[in-house]
Amino acid sequence: MAHQHHITPLSIYLTIAATLLFLSGVTVWVSYVDLGAMNIVIAMLIATTKATLVVLFFMHLLWDDKKLLTIFVMSLMFLGIFITITLLDTEFRGGVNPEVKDSINKRAAFYDSLPLTDTHGNPVDEHGSSHHEEDEDHH
Amino acid sequence: MSHDNSSPSFLQHHFHDVKQQYETAKLGMWAFILTEVLTFGGLFVAYVVYRSWYPEMFINANLLLDVNKGLLNTVVLITSSLTMALAIWAIQKKNKNLSLVMLILTFILAFMFLGIKYLEYSHKFEVGQLPGEYYSYMGPEIAHINNPHIFFSIYFMMTGLHGLHVAIGMGLIGWLIYATAKGNLHSEYYTPMEMIGIFWHLVDLIWIYLFPLFYLIG
Amino acid sequence: MIENQKNYLTYPKGIMSWLLTLDHKRIGLMYLFGGLAFFFLGGLLALGMRLELAAPGNDFMSNDTYNNVYTLHGAIMVFLFIIPAIPGALGNILLPLMLGAKDVAFPRLNLASFYLYTLGALFTIYTIIAGGVDTGWTFYTPYSTTSTSNVIPMTMGIFIIGFSSILTGLNFIATIHKMRIPGLTWYKLPLFVWALYGTSLVQITATPVIAITMVLLILERLLGIGIFDPALGGDPVLYQHFFWFYSHPAVYIMILPAFGIVSEIIPVHSRKKIWGYKFIAFSTLSIAFIGFLVWGHHMFTSGQSVFSQIVFSFITYFVGIPTGVKIFSWILTMYRGQVSFTPPMLYALSFLFLFTIGGLTGIFLGAVALDIHLHDTYFVVAHFHYVMQGGTIVAFLGGLHHWWPKSMGTMYNQTVANICCLGVFLGFNGTFFPQFLLGLRGMPRRYATYDPQYADLHNYSSFWSAILGLSIFIAIMNLLWSLRKNNKLDPGTNPWGAMTLEWTHTTSPPHPHNFEEEPVLEHGPYDYDKVIVEPTFKK
Repeated sequence: MAHQHHITPLSIYLTIAATLLFLSGVTVWVSYVDLGAMNIVIAMLIATTKATLVVLFFMHLLWDDKKLLTIFVMSLMFLGIFITITLLDTEFRGGVNPEVKDSINKRAAFYDSLPLTDTHGNPVDEHGSSHHEEDEDHH
Repeated sequence: MSHDNSSPSFLQHHFHDVKQQYETAKLGMWAFILTEVLTFGGLFVAYVVYRSWYPEMFINANLLLDVNKGLLNTVVLITSSLTMALAIWAIQKKNKNLSLVMLILTFILAFMFLGIKYLEYSHKFEVGQLPGEYYSYMGPEIAHINNPHIFFSIYFMMTGLHGLHVAIGMGLIGWLIYATAKGNLHSEYYTPMEMIGIFWHLVDLIWIYLFPLFYLIG
Repeated sequence: MIENQKNYLTYPKGIMSWLLTLDHKRIGLMYLFGGLAFFFLGGLLALGMRLELAAPGNDFMSNDTYNNVYTLHGAIMVFLFIIPAIPGALGNILLPLMLGAKDVAFPRLNLASFYLYTLGALFTIYTIIAGGVDTGWTFYTPYSTTSTSNVIPMTMGIFIIGFSSILTGLNFIATIHKMRIPGLTWYKLPLFVWALYGTSLVQITATPVIAITMVLLILERLLGIGIFDPALGGDPVLYQHFFWFYSHPAVYIMILPAFGIVSEIIPVHSRKKIWGYKFIAFSTLSIAFIGFLVWGHHMFTSGQSVFSQIVFSFITYFVGIPTGVKIFSWILTMYRGQVSFTPPMLYALSFLFLFTIGGLTGIFLGAVALDIHLHDTYFVVAHFHYVMQGGTIVAFLGGLHHWWPKSMGTMYNQTVANICCLGVFLGFNGTFFPQFLLGLRGMPRRYATYDPQYADLHNYSSFWSAILGLSIFIAIMNLLWSLRKNNKLDPGTNPWGAMTLEWTHTTSPPHPHNFEEEPVLEHGPYDYDKVIVEPTFKK
């Protein structure tokens, strides 16, 4: 064979997988702690840490030609451009005409004709009792 | 013009040597990964825009999702990513049988993922938490909230597209099992396994973001 | 030269050897003829529109028919001709030859890309047969979610063609990175290769977004998902963001390869080293990048935020810088060269003139205040036709004339070709220059009828459009007529004295495996100051 591939040691794979599982637990736990706006930031930080581990170790980019890492970073950069510039519009509307700031229909019209339901999706009348008693023990 | 007799059978005619063929495949694969990131990217943009417009709706609608099933799927998918990586490791170490076992495990885990997804989807179909105009769930916890159907539209599109990738990945892994068992893939030539591995890790990667974005908002 | 040498056109034989070919040159030819067929169709639709617009009333077609005709004209020209034509046809034929490679990196993917294009084309044909689509080629919501015309088959076709485009781009990137012969470093590449590289980067980064946008639009129609539909709490302007995130960079998918062709034609036919090689190469990449930051200038009247209007308008001007760098480099290449007025060179000169007008009027439209007046008028129509037709299609015709002897091994009648080029130039200006004036006077686009005050200019435009259409038709017939029997050139022909690998190291038409032996690089692509390559042209 003309070229030698880098063979990642087994211990690295196992450590990374364990870290990923641990971080998944952490992100669920932290989501039950009310930190206000910080919740989403922390969730995304953890997800990005996990993603970085997957990309560098499982997908092997740490050892590969840096060109490949460049391609991957480029994909994130273009996604970043897409999100950021779109938000420049959607977050700053109404500068000249404040009436265009909110969506035209705050509540889509079809909700008006939807009956209230219980937690199983069965329609209920105004007193809260279900029309479909036979479905009561469904879950 | 053509290669001499000493060149291996898996070398295609238009490449100089194995190294060139391998590096070309890998570059092509990563270019493909870029297109995948941007395909999902469109849906991420929709997610970000609507979440910033309807923050309260997203919090309330997310409570209707089953965190346990989501977490279970996360564990399943991370484990399958590990088994996929180990399949490549095993074939590099010339251990064909271990590689086969790992591929089969990956396949089973992928199937489990889709199974759990099916349970989630079928529950949503039953209670009417459906995308767009098909949405009909008006349970007490959500009835006062505006436009939860948008949350479920984005949820079904993103997890649906992701699920489609899992299904395609299963097909590819199935082919890998066949090719490895037949001996077409071996320690000298396992490029397809590595490429499908990269694809499979991408599927994991996307789920890593989907899980907190849909299940862990509240 | 050996008589009856094997070449890719004649070896191997049989229809299946074409349909299942993995040879990039054959795939390129199939793309070429597919593209030309749709060019013909799109051209007929355009002439139909001009016929209707020759007089103010509904003389030739109804308003509904007109809506269908302009939508199909736009969609066919953009998605089935211009975007696939240069990379798919000329790019496929030339890229591996220019790199000294035997084929593209992934030949099977290349064939798959062609068949995806065919499938997308079938969807388009179905759309036409089923009664057309009337939304405009942009499919803006909310109209496209409520229109009763065939939105779904057409968008499905675009979705599929998108994948074809992605596969071509991906293939070219891997090819350019990995398939070059030893010694052919980045700065020794022909500029057409740089142009294809920039194009491919845009293809793989932007096209996935149009794919997902088309899926969202189809789902909006089928399920009412409410992302783009304001009645369901969605936002139609968001659709425009999605659409233009692809479709603005797509403008560069269309124009960058044209720049590449012009960068090849001008030094060869001026017999002078290209001026500012690196400037042209890097301006290609910077146009590709800046192209991703300016999509909102298509949406100045859509109700997007004022803040983003300012940002988009500001960044839009930056596109002018690398474009200007290119134009000046081409002009300086010709300066003190031996310019010969061959058909390819005449097309390249027309390109310079027409594209400059197209580019400069783009600067007008990039200014928010002016755009609010000119938006959706014939000024916009004239602007993008000066870029797309005066730029891309004229350069494509030039490239076709330049590489025709190479890829087909025959020479067309050069006098007829020159006359046709003149006809294209005059016909084009006659058709579209009056449309700038119409737009400035307030004539809106996409109307079948108009106020009689516009009649003179419309009439004039329609008259010249007939000459334009006829000239292009004869030009292509002139090319095809050269394929008649007993018109073969000597395989060693290098009629323009070009010095890129496809001319100096292989036969015309090329060997099935491109080169008899792997070429050894002797000089750069434009070293006219160091090496003399004499034009050879004999039958």
